[in-house]
Amino acid sequence: MNKITVGVVGAGRIGKLHADNLLAMPDVRLKSIADPYLIPDEWSSRGIVPTLDPSDVFNDGEIEAVLVCSPTPTHAEFTEIAARAGKHVFCEKPIALDPDRVRETLDVVEKAGIKLQVGFNRRFDPTFARVRQAVVDGEIGDVHLVKVIARDPSPPPPEYVADSGGMFLDMTIHDFDMVRFLSGSEVEEVQAFGAVLVDPAIGEAGDIDTAVVTLKLANGALAVIENSRKAVFGYDQRLEVFGSEGGVEAYNESPCQVRLRTADGIRAENPLFFFLERYQRSFVVELEAFVASIREDREPPVGGCDGLMSVLIGLAAAQSMAENRPVKVEAP
Amino acid sequence: MDGHMNQTTVGVIGAGRIGKMHTENLVHHIREAEVKAVASPHLDEGWAKGLGIPVRSTDNSVVLDDTEIEAIVITASSGQHSELIRQAAAAGKHIFCEKPVGFDEGPIEEAIAAAKGAGVQLQVGFNRRFDPDVRSLAESVRDGEVGELHGLRVINRDPSAPPIDFVLRSGGMFFDFAIHDFDTIRFLSNSEIEEVFAAGAVLVDPEIGNAGDIDTAIITLRLANGALCVIDNSRQARYGYDQRFEAFGSKGNQVVDNTRPTIKESFLEGGVYTDLPPNTFVERYRDAFIAELEAFVKCVREKRPVSVSADDALAAVKAAKAAKKSMDENRPVKLDAAAPPAEGGSSR
Repeated sequence: MNKITVGVVGAGRIGKLHADNLLAMPDVRLKSIADPYLIPDEWSSRGIVPTLDPSDVFNDGEIEAVLVCSPTPTHAEFTEIAARAGKHVFCEKPIALDPDRVRETLDVVEKAGIKLQVGFNRRFDPTFARVRQAVVDGEIGDVHLVKVIARDPSPPPPEYVADSGGMFLDMTIHDFDMVRFLSGSEVEEVQAFGAVLVDPAIGEAGDIDTAVVTLKLANGALAVIENSRKAVFGYDQRLEVFGSEGGVEAYNESPCQVRLRTADGIRAENPLFFFLERYQRSFVVELEAFVASIREDREPPVGGCDGLMSVLIGLAAAQSMAENRPVKVEAP
Repeated sequence: MDGHMNQTTVGVIGAGRIGKMHTENLVHHIREAEVKAVASPHLDEGWAKGLGIPVRSTDNSVVLDDTEIEAIVITASSGQHSELIRQAAAAGKHIFCEKPVGFDEGPIEEAIAAAKGAGVQLQVGFNRRFDPDVRSLAESVRDGEVGELHGLRVINRDPSAPPIDFVLRSGGMFFDFAIHDFDTIRFLSNSEIEEVFAAGAVLVDPEIGNAGDIDTAIITLRLANGALCVIDNSRQARYGYDQRFEAFGSKGNQVVDNTRPTIKESFLEGGVYTDLPPNTFVERYRDAFIAELEAFVKCVREKRPVSVSADDALAAVKAAKAAKKSMDENRPVKLDAAAPPAEGGSSR
């Protein structure tokens, strides 16, 4: 099979993960990776060309697709550069925290006529994909309620919080996308309650660590998202779609399925620790989908507009919390 | 069985579905009580006679005026509750009243005053507080098993939508249905509801919308202790009566899942199957319905205050009113402070 040649920009945690996954894909040739801090030997020993300069990737005529895994503030610019160079782009979320900046990038992408996929990996989690399939297949009838629980195992350091764009844009953004994905509908209006219950330092950094967000959807359904920065028992990722014919629910997944029974009680394993463990498979499937959309010349399953919508919902949530009133989501 | 023990003599007013269930529970399960009389406008004579209830009438005064009767169970239609409480209190009877006591603060406050003035007990039928699972969750929250409480979630979905004539006199979904959930939130958190945001929709049956009500809702609540809570309601869950509860805190999460008639699991070609949850509240809360009347009779006999009073009904109605207002005006609504400080009474 004719392999698709790919370059990766950004070799941090998520860049490394994607690179590893690309290496395992038979129809992909990972040619080069760029990061100002990378260790060249780590990559050259695996047959990948390392470079400190992302332009080397963008200007490489052999490279057909670029994965943008650099820090968030560079996403929009790198996506645009790659698009102008005629590369297809897979960009980590969010493209940018400013919706106008996202729109500019999407314009560039459209003019370049390249394919853009945004890294909402959870859509490709086999469990959540099965939930969506139940909705698509009509197994639960019309959607009435969508419920998402997303709790991290431990809060990020306060200095991370300060630059994160706030919990709604950093963490809940995945859940906003999940509500849109599961319901197949747009979010029209949000009402967010937030609180600082986990760590006062997060509050001092101007953010929250606990939230409940109510969402009204265009199809008439209602949704609610529950977030916490700290669940002591692990990464709490559950969701439910309830409809006119029934409901479908996804539970937490554990490293192994055992029950330990003693006189003290019956004990099962805690959920998988964090997103790298829980969503391991989804990172593979999302790249397979990206590559397939290039190969088969189809629209990628998660496009730039999906990236924009989640930012717009996040901004509406932040405004709702600040003004303590429901806020309509801006049109894309 | 009876005759040797000094039983508490009870009368029942209202023998519809709930009235019949409470009466049967009193007769069959609560040895300390004797049901002497039952009054109901369309009394099922055969049913009452079958239970061995000596006095059967369509006239409430037959129960109210019977000097032997110490306690009255009020299970008449909702609109009559507060007036019947006043009459029963005036007659010096202890009172167990089904929810709702009233749809507004006024009648509930009057009922509270009437019971207080007459020196009688007044328990309200928030049966979930007596469910062993809900009770266990409340106790472990109170014991700090989940640490500081950060959130509660209550799922309350009926198996099928009520008939429209019921909807019309129900007071609306927040007052008729979510009222239990407001009380459950207060019970589980041991805190007060400070602010609510309610989003409602008509997704089950357009007729419910035509009757001016909703059938689907998400209610988010901010409590005095800082916790953020979620209630979701639907009038129709096709798989049965969906009753789930969760308490999340700094030390963990506790979950009460649906009960099911049997715990059999069937591993078949199409998947792994278990029983559906019970299909009615009578089945799901069977033990709770018995336990709440047991507790009531015990409190009457031991002259101890009841554990679920009309004050709780008042707090729940305030939350329901705030939810309705929140939905109508599409904004978060703060609940009025329970009791404003007395003029000049505060010390500085």
